[in-house]
Amino acid sequence: MEQLRAMQQAFMGHLLGRPSDIAAAIQSTPEADAPTRLGIYASGYRLRLKEALETDYPQLHAYLGDMLFDQLMDAYIDRYPSHVFSLRDYGRHMPELLDGLDDFPALPMVRELERIERAFNHSFDAADSAPPDPAMLSQLPPEAWPGMQLRLHASVVVLHNRWNSFPVWRALSRGETPPEPVEDTAPWLIWRKALVSRYRALEAPEAAALHTALNGGDFSALCEALLAFHPADEVPREAVSLLQTWITEEMLADIVTDR
Amino acid sequence: MTRPFLGFGLGLRTDHYQYIEDHRPDIDWFEILSENYMVPGGKPLAHLERIRADYPVVMHGVSLSIGSTDPLDEDYLASLKTLAERAQPEWLSDHLCWTQVDHTNSHDLLPLPYNEPTIEHIAGRIRQVQDYLGRQILIENLSSYVTYRASEMSEWEFLDEIARRADCLILLDINNIFVSAHNHHFDPMDYLLGVSPERVMQFHLAGHSHSGPMLIDTHDHPVCDPVWTLYEAALKHFGPVSTMIERDDDIPEFPALRAELAIAEDIAGRTLAAECLPPRLAQGAA
Ligand SMILES: [Fe+2]
Repeated sequence: MEQLRAMQQAFMGHLLGRPSDIAAAIQSTPEADAPTRLGIYASGYRLRLKEALETDYPQLHAYLGDMLFDQLMDAYIDRYPSHVFSLRDYGRHMPELLDGLDDFPALPMVRELERIERAFNHSFDAADSAPPDPAMLSQLPPEAWPGMQLRLHASVVVLHNRWNSFPVWRALSRGETPPEPVEDTAPWLIWRKALVSRYRALEAPEAAALHTALNGGDFSALCEALLAFHPADEVPREAVSLLQTWITEEMLADIVTDR
Repeated sequence: MTRPFLGFGLGLRTDHYQYIEDHRPDIDWFEILSENYMVPGGKPLAHLERIRADYPVVMHGVSLSIGSTDPLDEDYLASLKTLAERAQPEWLSDHLCWTQVDHTNSHDLLPLPYNEPTIEHIAGRIRQVQDYLGRQILIENLSSYVTYRASEMSEWEFLDEIARRADCLILLDINNIFVSAHNHHFDPMDYLLGVSPERVMQFHLAGHSHSGPMLIDTHDHPVCDPVWTLYEAALKHFGPVSTMIERDDDIPEFPALRAELAIAEDIAGRTLAAECLPPRLAQGAA
């Protein structure tokens, strides 16, 4: 198999744009010589990877325009040959590429748009789970509440941006002219409900409560986080109200108690 | 011959999920692209479950890389097996090609040199895959644009000998035979006659495009007339074989693809005996 292996390595080298002697292994015909025939594969290789990146980042593409986005894709493809079996996962190194760039236009906004689209891609096919039954809360004895663990649905992502990247993303996704970049630190939520990815802005208390739950904190820790925003006697009611919202919005995968 | 015959199907595409669920169109089966459903959850698996409840499906993959000199990808095989348990397909197929080497994936179906060492290598790997999955698989012929100097036989001799040694089944892509015949100057009838009929379990039909002197397998056009003619010859030679159309780009509305599939049904209607046709067509012909 050494011959076949050497041939495959040379062929792959050709696709990756590296020096390769694969043409010597290919028959030429009068209408198409070996380099022409091999060229079909090389251009197909790049096109397919670009298609995968365009599918992952439609609004980043719209924001940058064809020329700049194409530059970004070329840089990505040159740096990251694919080691995954599904093109769905090909773009996974994009944050790394962007972190390493320092002279690309509008980098802060570009990085945040990338995070937003990656979160949407993640929410699209994250693991399923049936939402817990709200009736279980009313049957829960008082002593079970503090240690209750809230497991968020796999699609839930909370994004803290520095810029107004969400309003920019939203305008682009509607085909509108995006607003000028300004600082805007409002947190946003992305998740999936009834099989459709959704998003909404988060108020500070809900964002804090979500962080507690995402980090594995129990219900008492969540209440503690809410103390920063509400008087102590209102915290339990606020916490239960958030919990009910999360259940009806399909943001919870499970509620785990010791009993 | 007791080859199972599913009738006439289409490739299941995301653009058509809603139409299919709303209208339950009268086709016999769907082919799903395995990799699209190797995901944790969400829409793809939900739609698959609904559509599978009403139609038989077959699974068609592009990542097995059966001709690679890398070891078989165990993670991929495990995902494939999990999906097969979920989708309960009539059968699974992939291509007679290689897609990756040194763990670098070309995401393309790359051709192989047609010679004895390659046959032996691939037949052994197909047997491994079949042992792991606990079932026979189908391997499909490619469209290709290069011929290796190391090739010592025709593509059909290569395909048929691998199928014989691996004891696997064959998915014949009629368009790919046509495209490769043009690109490599062989007679497509020689191909049809060179393959063991008892191993041919499925046909693919698709459109292609022109690039200079070459034909390219783009799946972005309707099936062209010479491919329909070749399909008719294939049906005459092989008898009833489960047939579907692959469309992957410039995908039209579902009814347009359904109408294209009716061309295949018409050809089968005048080529095959009425008792070979699916009941819904045999009744219409009577
Ligand atoms: Fe095919």
